[in-house]
Amino acid sequence: MTSVDPAHSRRRVDRAGLVIAALLAGLAAVLVWDARGLPSTGMYGMGPEAMPVVVASGLALLAIGNFIDALRGNLPARESADPVPVVLILVGLALLIAIIGFGGGFILATSALFVTTSAAFGRRAILADSIIALVMSTLIYLAFDRLLTLSLPAGPLERLL
Amino acid sequence: MIDTFAALAHGMAVAIQPMNLLYALIGVFLGTAVGVLPGIGPALTVALLLPVTYKLDPGGSLIMFAGIYYGGMYGGSTTAILINTPGESASMATALEGNKMAKAGRGGPALATSAIGSFVAGTIATIGLAFLAPWLVDFAVRFGPEDYFALMCVAFVTVSATFGDSPIRGLTSLFIGLTLGLIGIDKLTGQARLAFGIPELLDGVEVTTLAVGLFAVGEALYVASRRHHTEEKLEPVHGSLWMTTEDWKRSWKPWLRGTMFGFPIGALPAGGAEIPTFLSYSTEKRLTKHPEEFGKGAIEGVAGPEAANNASAAGTLVPLLTLGLPTSATAAMMLAGFQQYGLNPGPLLFAERPDLVWGLIASLFIANAMLLVLNLPLVGLWVRLLAIPQPWLYAGILVFATMGTIAAKPSVVELSMLAGFGVLGFLMRRFDFPIAPVVVGLILGPIAESQLRRALAISLGDPMTLLQSPISATLLGIALIALLAPFVLKGLGRFKANED
Amino acid sequence: MFQFPARVIGAAVALILAAANPAFAQQLELKLMAPAAPGGGWDQTARSMQQALVASGVARSVQVTNVPGAGGSVGIAQFVNGAKGDGNQMMVNGFVMVGALAMNKSPVTLEQVTPIARLTEEIQVIVVPANSPIKNAQDLAAAVKADIAKVTFAGGSAGGVDHVMAALFAGAVGADAKKINYIPFSGGGESLAAILGGKVTAGISGLSEYEGQIKSGKLRAIGVTSEKRIAGSDIPTFKEQGIDLVIANWRSVVAPPGITPEQRKTLSDAVEKMVKSDAWKEILKQKGWEDAYLGGDAFADFLKKETARVTDVLKSVGLVKS
Repeated sequence: MTSVDPAHSRRRVDRAGLVIAALLAGLAAVLVWDARGLPSTGMYGMGPEAMPVVVASGLALLAIGNFIDALRGNLPARESADPVPVVLILVGLALLIAIIGFGGGFILATSALFVTTSAAFGRRAILADSIIALVMSTLIYLAFDRLLTLSLPAGPLERLL
Repeated sequence: MIDTFAALAHGMAVAIQPMNLLYALIGVFLGTAVGVLPGIGPALTVALLLPVTYKLDPGGSLIMFAGIYYGGMYGGSTTAILINTPGESASMATALEGNKMAKAGRGGPALATSAIGSFVAGTIATIGLAFLAPWLVDFAVRFGPEDYFALMCVAFVTVSATFGDSPIRGLTSLFIGLTLGLIGIDKLTGQARLAFGIPELLDGVEVTTLAVGLFAVGEALYVASRRHHTEEKLEPVHGSLWMTTEDWKRSWKPWLRGTMFGFPIGALPAGGAEIPTFLSYSTEKRLTKHPEEFGKGAIEGVAGPEAANNASAAGTLVPLLTLGLPTSATAAMMLAGFQQYGLNPGPLLFAERPDLVWGLIASLFIANAMLLVLNLPLVGLWVRLLAIPQPWLYAGILVFATMGTIAAKPSVVELSMLAGFGVLGFLMRRFDFPIAPVVVGLILGPIAESQLRRALAISLGDPMTLLQSPISATLLGIALIALLAPFVLKGLGRFKANED
Repeated sequence: MFQFPARVIGAAVALILAAANPAFAQQLELKLMAPAAPGGGWDQTARSMQQALVASGVARSVQVTNVPGAGGSVGIAQFVNGAKGDGNQMMVNGFVMVGALAMNKSPVTLEQVTPIARLTEEIQVIVVPANSPIKNAQDLAAAVKADIAKVTFAGGSAGGVDHVMAALFAGAVGADAKKINYIPFSGGGESLAAILGGKVTAGISGLSEYEGQIKSGKLRAIGVTSEKRIAGSDIPTFKEQGIDLVIANWRSVVAPPGITPEQRKTLSDAVEKMVKSDAWKEILKQKGWEDAYLGGDAFADFLKKETARVTDVLKSVGLVKS
């Protein structure tokens, strides 16, 4: 737990803030690098490279602003975060993408996401949740596929229907 | 004028026959049912259900079509309020306060003010359409690129209302959005920017993918990360399920103001629904007597944008009917629908086929009223959804959120972007950066850029063109006042304080 | 909803009501992509095909999707990547896409798609607002020669037929085509507003898109690009006004890469049947499009030649770096 008394935290350099400032500066650099690769075209007025440079300048200024805020420790106090549920949900999303990517179909993919998210929020009844998820996503699939004739990704389970 | 009323009365008489009322009800029901599905915005809802109307006589199908249209729009707002997944960019502003209200047990009033606000705005805007269309369109075509750019400037200044407490963090969010808006093919020269050779990125970033990722996925991650502090308790109904007298008092002005933003801007060929909804949100935030509630679920923040959204939809009918120009996806669908009923929008429509025009307008009235009849009783049912236990509720929300993307674009790149935006939304919440400006930047940035570059190309690079157009000069003046007013007022306040 | 905020989806899919009817079971359910914003030429072509395919009973349902952006580069990228091997999808395309892909150095090219058929050809027109001092093509030519930068042309996407035509017009009247001031707009709606509002000197588009405005007197057509005057029209050609400018905007339909020969035949047959249907003929008449049907390998050949020709034109006017 890092919940500290505010008077103390005020003075401390905020490391996360420094990282944010660095990321913004990096983003600005990417924009400029990308804009330099754009060929100048015969257009009157402003070319395609102007806006990226404007946005990059803004990002650079904001990087400085965030940097100063971080040095002064001016960021709002944060409560501690529990990484486990976050990672669980992200695993669920990764599973979903992988299953869709490898042709596992909509039902399996969304069921995986449902079960991991439910577990992230403290449920431990994986079997019951899996059944709920399968039934729900099958119904959704049928509704889209049969009623609306909109195609959702099909995998082994969908072909059985 | 007398003729107009007579024609409208005749249209009404046709529309109000019992069978037609029934068709309107069926249309609204189907439209709402399909519109609440994730990934299906109003345009697609109309597209999906259009064939159903073919089986009816022209009068009946037109009225059912109008019902589907309103039902689809309302369905999108329902998901924005209940599960924080705006189905289209126009209901983004609704999600900001609407979902907060739902979480505080005020989902009932939020849905009600949204439905009634839509009705009020739709009705006023339809009257506006009936009587002002020919004049309004003359004004609308006078809007040139420089004027649109100036309008964007007004929008940019006013969105600072979504910034939260720290200007630096608000601007940081906005610039992240502007950066995302640069991704893809440049409209004016066809050059690819920030695409890194990935073809999927040539499309640019989809507004709904970004909004759903930041709002729904980011929120789920954030709530999950904080479960050990306080178990979030959702009460579906806290206080009254219906709008209280206080709610009515706080809603009616935002409805009217939202309509004033939505209808004229919607009538502009490149106006759209996003700008009026943001303008309405910002205005309500400035004018409210309860500024402390904004960000926690202020009813004005739902009433205004919802009215603006609906009014702008009616506004898009102005160029559609008078010029035959579909200026939005939904309008393009309506054009397809009208053509089925023998209505060929264009400069001559109002003169040649007044019967069809007035029949359509009467249908819109009836369908709009039917929306209230059907959906107000359903409000109680909808908010019960929030009584689902938290693990299932969030699991369901995530499934629905990703499903929208899967249905629209089942690509690994798109889903990865959704997940990436979810993480971004989580981190931004964690480090207290406001979310909405990112989406605002993505929507407004590219429009502002294209219009500015068009204006400068026409003027051969002379920036004075922005001041030479009276419309543009006026709008830039408004933007400047809006930008400086807070500082001036603050200065005056300090001055007064010193006097005391 | 502007910046046609990205995805725009259109048109009809039949419901279960129809699916339950076994008589329809054998028919095609097509997805047709219009790689442009609603309201433009490709969009109209796609929606007309939808109408004709369904009305003539060739397909049970046709769903039109709009994927706007950069002269179809966005659409074709999505089409080639997303619809690979899908024998139920087609995409409308045409002249504009050829130029856009060349200009964008697009990783996706028209060689990757499976050609199905050329459908129509449309004559192009240059219009000016009704109150413009420019009365005919020679007036415009004089203005272009006087100061080419000050003559602004509004039209469709960069490198499209409108853009090429502006360059050809400048070249034909003896001005430096590289210096044209061409303002691309997305979708016919926005450019029409810019012309009606007098923001630009002239507008370039397909004749049918502005026909309503020309007839109602809000726009003045100063010339069309056909060889001979169109029957029943009083708009003079550029040729008869002494300017050698002949160009047509053809539109075609293609299938995704990687489909089987059988799938290709099914689609080709469906399109051929559609083209011969009364519904299609009626639409052509209504929209003022010239039937330019060219199927099978003849079209594949045409596509190849046209690609080479357009790229040459674009290079000669400096739109594509040679």
